[in-house]
Amino acid sequence: MEALRVEDLSINFGGVKAVNNVSFSVEVGKRLAIIGPNGAGKTTLFNLINGQLSPTAGRILFFDQDVTDLPTHRRAHLGQARAFQLISLLQNLTVLENTLLTLHGTKPHRFKMFRQIRDFKEVFGQAVDELKKVGLWEKRDELVQNLSYGEQRRLEIYLGLCMQPKLLLLDEPSAGSTKEECTDIIGIIKNLESDITVLIVDHDMDMVFGLAERIIVLHYGEIIADGTPEEVQTDQRVREIYMGVEECIDYASDR
Amino acid sequence: MEQFVINMLNGLSYGMVLFLIASGMSIVMGAMNITNLAHGVLYMVGAYVGWTTAVKYGAPFVIGLVAGGLGAGIVGLVIERGFLRHLYKKPNEQVLLTFGFVYILTNLCLWVWGGWPRMPFTAKVLAGSIEIMGKTYPKARLATIIIGFVLAIILWWLQDRTRIGAMVRAGMDNKEMTMGLGINLERVFASVFFVASCIAGVAGVLGAQLLGVYNALGLEILLLALIVIIVGGVGSIQGALLGGLLIGVIDAFGKALFPRLAMFTMYFTMIVVLLLRPSGLLGRKA
Amino acid sequence: MGAIDQEALARPRQEKWISVVAYGIAVIVVGILPAFLSSYIQGVITRFLIFALFSVGYNVVFGYLGLPSLGHAAYFGAGGYVIAVLKMHYDIDLFWVGAPLGILMATFIAAMFGILALRVSGIYFLLVTFALGQLLYSVAWNVKWLNTPGMQGIAGLSLPSFGTGGWTLDPISFYYLVLVITVICIYLIRKIANSPFGHALIGIREGEGRMRTLGYNTWLYKYFAFVISVIFSGVAGVLFGYYNYVISPTHLGVGTSFLPMCMCIIGGTGTLLGPVIGAALIIFVELFASIMTPERWPLTLGGLFVLTIMFAREGVGVYLAKLWNKMSHPYGSIKS
Repeated sequence: MEALRVEDLSINFGGVKAVNNVSFSVEVGKRLAIIGPNGAGKTTLFNLINGQLSPTAGRILFFDQDVTDLPTHRRAHLGQARAFQLISLLQNLTVLENTLLTLHGTKPHRFKMFRQIRDFKEVFGQAVDELKKVGLWEKRDELVQNLSYGEQRRLEIYLGLCMQPKLLLLDEPSAGSTKEECTDIIGIIKNLESDITVLIVDHDMDMVFGLAERIIVLHYGEIIADGTPEEVQTDQRVREIYMGVEECIDYASDR
Repeated sequence: MEQFVINMLNGLSYGMVLFLIASGMSIVMGAMNITNLAHGVLYMVGAYVGWTTAVKYGAPFVIGLVAGGLGAGIVGLVIERGFLRHLYKKPNEQVLLTFGFVYILTNLCLWVWGGWPRMPFTAKVLAGSIEIMGKTYPKARLATIIIGFVLAIILWWLQDRTRIGAMVRAGMDNKEMTMGLGINLERVFASVFFVASCIAGVAGVLGAQLLGVYNALGLEILLLALIVIIVGGVGSIQGALLGGLLIGVIDAFGKALFPRLAMFTMYFTMIVVLLLRPSGLLGRKA
Repeated sequence: MGAIDQEALARPRQEKWISVVAYGIAVIVVGILPAFLSSYIQGVITRFLIFALFSVGYNVVFGYLGLPSLGHAAYFGAGGYVIAVLKMHYDIDLFWVGAPLGILMATFIAAMFGILALRVSGIYFLLVTFALGQLLYSVAWNVKWLNTPGMQGIAGLSLPSFGTGGWTLDPISFYYLVLVITVICIYLIRKIANSPFGHALIGIREGEGRMRTLGYNTWLYKYFAFVISVIFSGVAGVLFGYYNYVISPTHLGVGTSFLPMCMCIIGGTGTLLGPVIGAALIIFVELFASIMTPERWPLTLGGLFVLTIMFAREGVGVYLAKLWNKMSHPYGSIKS
């Protein structure tokens, strides 16, 4: 079954085609990475899939449902979760608050006005469980901005999973992380249940080649390669663009 | 037909004043992210200073224009250097501070110039009228159009063709990058604020030819400037010019065609623009 | 739910102790003392309460949602104008008619203006709300029906009647009416602040994009928050109409819109009771300034704003807010 299907997707920014005629589909439970040089349109593609932007042309199907014109919050209810970069944690709120906001977001009572948030014992209990699982229960009253980078990433990925997503969109999970933290994140993603589909955009080749079963390479908004890591690694055009994938891997591991 | 031309000229002259007052505020808002609610009061200060110079002491009109511009510019510079400088990136505090200055400057003007309902201010050079298509038309309004047009071209040139304009535009797009290039942003900001205040002052002297000078002017003009900015879009001379002329012309025709609804034509325009293009006719998408 | 969770839900005892003392003092000051003061001072405290209610409601949009509105006086004044029009044209001063109609009118206008204003965000929201507020101002200024002949605005209002024969409201009973309504409203706002809805508003202030990906329809939250905030402006406006005897276009204009914003900033934006402190400060400074130097009081008020922003931004306002955060439940955090 297809989790996500993108058909002839294009978007123009004042004449510049940031994403141009992109089509692909992902089976349920696959881990797909999207790579490409800076400005290739990776994040724009993510924004289209998650609904921050609407395309100038093309369609997006999520579990066979056309979501092209749905706003972001509706896609969240259908089972899309997104983490990192633009959509990072709320820095000025505490760990517990971030957790509660995440848990309430897809619940029908999120509009309730006259019941105290702490009276939703079930949600609160769930938050307690989640925070203990992440190992941040002791830091529940810390502002997120006071957590270490690694802790923030861990919390963010777990909060994404709290939403019980069908599709997890990870926007550069490795950015700013140390090598150990990257390994940590790779471990978490590898242990995910097999019915969660994962899309990753990243520069870090360890992350990409460590996780992805399939890689799509974007260049100037177009797909120039699509296949298994081995196929992409040996693709002539990809090599031209990256001036040798090996070099790129070296660069990634240097960081 | 004659009536149409007269209405058009009325609209254009009023629109030029609106353009001048809105342009400075719009640029300050777009480039520096500063909401200066005291901008309308600077206009009033300019008008009063110009009035004192040109009417009370009988100096030539041009001297009045320069004095009004400089007077408002200096007050503006004091506000920026003394106070607003500490409040970059704090929009709510800027609003409170600049509105405090609205109270202070309005009351000071009342103290110095008294609460006369409306002091007429027509410079000697601009007194009288000339004949257009068989009808007489006041010289002052024509002069306003011409001076406004010249200033619009100068401002346009400043924005698009000079180094400081490029810096301002770069600052708008990416503050960190501009800082990284080693440009002294503080100095750029101070100069922009000074120039914007000067234009407000000049607009005050010009506008006084049409509207006179009185103490409630500061807030009234502020409101008009905001409507022009909403209609035209924030952050560019072109936006302020289009918005100003549009509002001016619509207001003039509104007054001529539906005198009873005259006050609402500009609000109506604003609401239509908000519904169709929330970021203004020439504004960038937020 | 284990024992630890129950523990997590319980509030520290010490905090309760401070609240009890603080609320006790408050009850004495606003609840009992005014009965023994001159009617002039009663009037001033009534005015303070009305503006405290106005600001606490305004804070839902300003502090909580983080959107600077500069047009709330329009809704405040609309409430007052309904009272005034009922009195002038229909000779109705019944509270049960005036109050619901006034609040409804304010809410109705906000429901329309909200759609326009929420098309933009940030500081542009301020511009648009300001311009929309001035629209009502110019309506009130220009429409003959909304003005007592020979003046701007409507005069000759009175305290409300309750339809009870032989008993009319005197200033002190009206004071207690205002007190009760204000306390109820602040209690409701506190409820909202601590609800899932209220927390979502804070989340939107801190990062609207993230809230959308979490499944929140942020536009709807903003719209509801705006309308809710205006309902309280309407209540305050109705009370103000009865209190002030005169309602004029000024009460719809930017000068009045500006007051709750100042009160919030000076007292502590985004805290429940900060705006109340701000209201107390501003109303009393306004009072003293207008007694000492009637012609120069705008100068004093403006000077106060400038001084607060320059020197007490991290001082008095935040200090008081912190103090109050300890005593009452803050908007921005769930303490466990």
